[in-house]
Amino acid sequence: MQQHVAAQHQTPGGAVQKKRSTNFLVNVLLHAMAMFFNRRSSLRKYLASDNGWLNFTVGIRTEAGSVESAISFQNGKVSVAHHIPANADVVVILASDTALKKLLTAPTTEQVYMLLKSEMRTEGKQTYLLMFLFLVSVLLHNQQIKGLEKERAHFRKSAFSECPQHRPELSRELAERRAQRMVAESVDPGVKFLGDPYLPQFTLEDFPRLKKFLDLHFDTRAQVCIEMPKLLTEWHKKNGFDAKPDGTPWVPELRRGYAFKYIMENRRPIIRKDDLVAGTTTSKEVGALPYVDAAGTYLWPELFTVPHRLLFPYDITEEEAWTLHHEIFPYWADKNFRERLRSRHNDPLALRIDERFAVYFSFKSSAFSHIIPDFPRILRLGTHGIIEEIRADMTRDPGDAGRNAAREAMIVSLEGLAAYSKNLARQAADDAASEADLKRRIELENLSGVCTRVVEYPARTLDEAVNAIWISMVGAHIENTNAGLSLGRLDQWLQPYFEADMAKLETNQEREAYIKHAIELIGCFFFRCTDHLPCMPYIATIYFGGSSSDQAITLGGVNPDGEDAVNDMTYLFLKVTEMLSLRDPNMNARYHPGKNSDTYLKRLCEVNLTTAATPSMHNDAVIMESLRQFNYDERDLNDWAAVGCVEPTIAGKHTGHTNFQLINLVAALEMALNNGTHPLMRWKLGPDTGVIENGDFKSFEQFYEAFLTQFTFLIDQSIQLNNWYAAEHQYVRPTPYISALIDGCSRNGLDATKGGAKYNSSGTAIIGLADVTDSLMVIKKLVFDEKKVPFAHLKRAVDTDFRNDPALHAMVTKKVPFFGSGSDEAVAMANRITKFAHDYYTPIPHYRGGKYTVGFWSMSQHVAFGTLTGALPSGRRAGQPFTPGLTPEPNASRSLLDNMRDVARLDPHNITNNLAFNVKIVPSPHDTREKAVQDMFSYVKTYFTLGGMQMQMNVVTSDTLRDAMAYPDSYRNLLVRISGYNAYFVTLHRDLQLELIHRAEYGIER
Amino acid sequence: MKSTPEKVQRSPLILDIKGNSLDDGPGIRSVVFFKGCPLSCVWCHNPESKGSGEEISYDAKECIGCDTCLSTCPRGALSRVNSLYVDRNRCDLCFACTGFCPSGALSRVGREMSIEEIAAKVIVDKPFFETSGGGVTLSGGEPTLFMDFVSQLLSLLKTHGIGTLLETCGQFDLDRFMDRLYPYLDAIYYDIKLMDSKAHEHYCGVSNARILDNFTRLHAAAAADGRTLLPRIPLIPDITDSTENITGIAGFLGCLGVKKAALLAYNPLWHEKSAKIGADDPCRDNHLMSSWPECERLERAREIFMQAGIEP
Repeated sequence: MQQHVAAQHQTPGGAVQKKRSTNFLVNVLLHAMAMFFNRRSSLRKYLASDNGWLNFTVGIRTEAGSVESAISFQNGKVSVAHHIPANADVVVILASDTALKKLLTAPTTEQVYMLLKSEMRTEGKQTYLLMFLFLVSVLLHNQQIKGLEKERAHFRKSAFSECPQHRPELSRELAERRAQRMVAESVDPGVKFLGDPYLPQFTLEDFPRLKKFLDLHFDTRAQVCIEMPKLLTEWHKKNGFDAKPDGTPWVPELRRGYAFKYIMENRRPIIRKDDLVAGTTTSKEVGALPYVDAAGTYLWPELFTVPHRLLFPYDITEEEAWTLHHEIFPYWADKNFRERLRSRHNDPLALRIDERFAVYFSFKSSAFSHIIPDFPRILRLGTHGIIEEIRADMTRDPGDAGRNAAREAMIVSLEGLAAYSKNLARQAADDAASEADLKRRIELENLSGVCTRVVEYPARTLDEAVNAIWISMVGAHIENTNAGLSLGRLDQWLQPYFEADMAKLETNQEREAYIKHAIELIGCFFFRCTDHLPCMPYIATIYFGGSSSDQAITLGGVNPDGEDAVNDMTYLFLKVTEMLSLRDPNMNARYHPGKNSDTYLKRLCEVNLTTAATPSMHNDAVIMESLRQFNYDERDLNDWAAVGCVEPTIAGKHTGHTNFQLINLVAALEMALNNGTHPLMRWKLGPDTGVIENGDFKSFEQFYEAFLTQFTFLIDQSIQLNNWYAAEHQYVRPTPYISALIDGCSRNGLDATKGGAKYNSSGTAIIGLADVTDSLMVIKKLVFDEKKVPFAHLKRAVDTDFRNDPALHAMVTKKVPFFGSGSDEAVAMANRITKFAHDYYTPIPHYRGGKYTVGFWSMSQHVAFGTLTGALPSGRRAGQPFTPGLTPEPNASRSLLDNMRDVARLDPHNITNNLAFNVKIVPSPHDTREKAVQDMFSYVKTYFTLGGMQMQMNVVTSDTLRDAMAYPDSYRNLLVRISGYNAYFVTLHRDLQLELIHRAEYGIER
Repeated sequence: MKSTPEKVQRSPLILDIKGNSLDDGPGIRSVVFFKGCPLSCVWCHNPESKGSGEEISYDAKECIGCDTCLSTCPRGALSRVNSLYVDRNRCDLCFACTGFCPSGALSRVGREMSIEEIAAKVIVDKPFFETSGGGVTLSGGEPTLFMDFVSQLLSLLKTHGIGTLLETCGQFDLDRFMDRLYPYLDAIYYDIKLMDSKAHEHYCGVSNARILDNFTRLHAAAAADGRTLLPRIPLIPDITDSTENITGIAGFLGCLGVKKAALLAYNPLWHEKSAKIGADDPCRDNHLMSSWPECERLERAREIFMQAGIEP
């Protein structure tokens, strides 16, 4: 096993004094902490859970050992030791005395960066560090809150300096875009009832209900909601975790099924005021759910401060915070995925790498979601019908107790969902009885009828279908972490209900009114999707900037028979997308060249222009071509839909965990440049592959091999971690409910976490392709082909961030053809890397069967990983963001067309988990809407004709973004596309805001 | 630096090929800029395109101050006091420095390219031309200085089915134009600057007689076969945008039956380009010509055109 290499901090002359002083300081502080808890009876209550004292030991030391201390919490007593005992639960290790002093005085955000940047790290169980940090916060939360407020003021001021002069005309321009509307040039064959599919007759002003919801959406602060974790914990305390109260071991699926049912039966059924869609994922107006069996306990240190943090501040009541600390978090401290994995595998290397942030991030530590449930099944059969089918599977296959236990768990879960639906029906009836407004009373009575029918029985109307889908989605959010749970092809699945409703109407007037109702209903559904936010710890709000729960909806494309699928509902969804400009649901559109119309593609462009960022557009034919290697049934392949950000899976039939990890390709390059050592972590992690300074690399191929060796080392570690996490999911949190809604699980009698689905895969996101391609191009061209720069010289410049060599920096950025410049060689290099990744990942044995898929999108990790990466041979400076997804570097070419052609030349066969290509297009203010849309259409259509896979737009100028940074109040709904998902610009972390501003801006030069 | 069409007949220098232009004709276009112009308008937006010979450009904004160039110049034409100074009297355009300049701050302006090279550069974007109804625009400088070359280039583009457009100042031999270029052009954008011949001679270096005459005859030809001929009027503050001149141009075009024209708003950014090649810039201190134009000036011109029945 690899060992941590302690950084050798030489401390000549005066070091002893320094060592003593820092060590002394730490000791004094820990003693003070102990004294407070030992002497103040009011504080002692925090040292216990409802199940007894919290007993643990935390050590603190520096890498060099100049500081060493430990604090121990045992049976309500706190003591301090000068040496860290061997049985310490967790040790915090600081890079140096300086780092330790910095930690003691730094504001919260800076402390987070210290952790990210390896100025400190932990060894051992992080759970206990979280407890310890909570106890620190018990003493210091007033100071911490003041510090956060000070930071907020500071950030406001620095944002202000980006744009000291407010330019109201810029926000006005965005607002004016909403006022303009085009008319459709033709009507698609699948559109049966809409006169003009662009629906230009409607604006948000026609929907006062939606307008009010939109205001609420922006004005409502989210609250931490403990309803679900409390019920979950209650159930487990009563019924046991590993074994039942009578001592017999639990079948994990059944344990989970009964717990789910208990939660669903006992949750408060809520119908939001004035809503047409019943049910909520939390008990708050907007709630954040701590998923305590996953990463929920990471909120522990912030129970006092979370309402005050800079990004994603959540309110929390004192009582709820206390319940979390006292009753809920302690129960899960050792039972969550991460800590179980750690103790079962003895804090393995693969996990320790993950916990250093710079190399890869395993999403399985918090979620397995990234799935589209089979909503058509619940619409067609209801829980009643599905249960009958499962029972039939049991009868057909009576022999195997394990398989039938899995099936039994699915049935129990569905009963839980149906019970929730019935509770909603009752609640709607109660609300109706006390409702004064007659119109609303009728709506509530209808809603009560709807919820009585669905989800138990098949849906018959659009109202029933939409409610059934939402209630089912609520169940998915209760069972699984709300990260990437997706909605699939809603236009396809809802069209039959829309058509059936329309067919019943006789007059045009009735039909027009019904279309309006359908828009309003879908609008309400969109707002339901915004009723929750991810319950992230502060560090994750920085690491995953501005991401909501990314519930992807996919429109258009072809139907299972391969025919044009664009229909009335496609355009209704686009209308709602355009009017509301919400970050979630995450809108994706399939465009099938030759099958979908220009009218449809133009509408996608127009909606992108109005909203500035959505929907993301996919080339149907190319995505399918890339997936063909997995031998999905042709009809299933035609039914693909995006999950989470952009990743293709087979809707309702596929456990695709398409974001099992985010991996930093650039880290492999840095390790190859440093013979296996990762520079920021100062950690000799990978194998020896050669020392540049010793002249070990005689050819580019030798260096490329070194890069691949480091890359495969990281892949192997991350896959190992994924497999271990998978086992924890199967035990801690199987997903019987989702399994009931994924084709194959009941038939196979196997939970979705174990491979029950018809199709299985796991998808990676590889980050930094453009940066690595460009860096390798520089090494190849300048060092080996043209011999203009000795490798050691380039390496020295990289190590010193080019500070002493501006001429070399200029040369690498100006004289080497980068990816996106139209260079065949650079495209070949990018294809070579993607091919290697694909060929290496795909056949790795998969724990659920199936394959690994490979994608090139980055969420916000191009910024996070960039922060943790030094300068690169491509000339990218230390700490700067990578390019988002696989978007070419902004200076690769002056012409956007070169970028598009190069991205389109990537072989789709190697990109099976999609890509994110960000394009910034800014129409001139002088352009008519028709001209602006026509230009956008020309770009997208040509890019797709050339074989481009995916494209997402940001239709906004840097000036506007700067203005928004400084004057956020005027831009609350300014939507931007990060890499795969949408965010509100003003809620983003500063680094991400600046990255968006600096991205290349194409458009008209005037 | 003045050239006349008669004198220049060697192969031209290409200033730049710019892809993804949305402003130089319909759709998405690639623009090929030729170097050299028979006119010498004081406000020229592309001052580096005036002369037909090679030049050296120094961009202070790109310069990283590494001074690699100083020792590479065999004639000692480069020196640094505070910023880099190019002594253009000493420089013999050997371009030793530009090869060594890592940042590209020193660069060669104008490059000889074969017809095939140019075609290859633009043809890659043909799919974009096709979806957008775009194509290639020849601009400059003045492409008609190189009739034979341009004729062959256009002919080649046409064999590839690419849309073509020429931007011209109108100072050319019309018979040769009709013979060599016109058959291959889908559209012509034709600049008309000043109606007063004296003023034209003063600001643009030549009389406008031939330009107006050519336009009149070209208009008749284009009207006959339905080809696009779009007159464009650059609005130069206090030079071309006076009420008198605009009225004059509108009258001239109106008499011919022209229904559509383009008014080009003034762009002051050319001063920077002028400095890069060390060209004289008599307008630098002119306040109007160093700032963005006021909206009223454009509006006034638009109104005059509309009154004359021409859509601006």
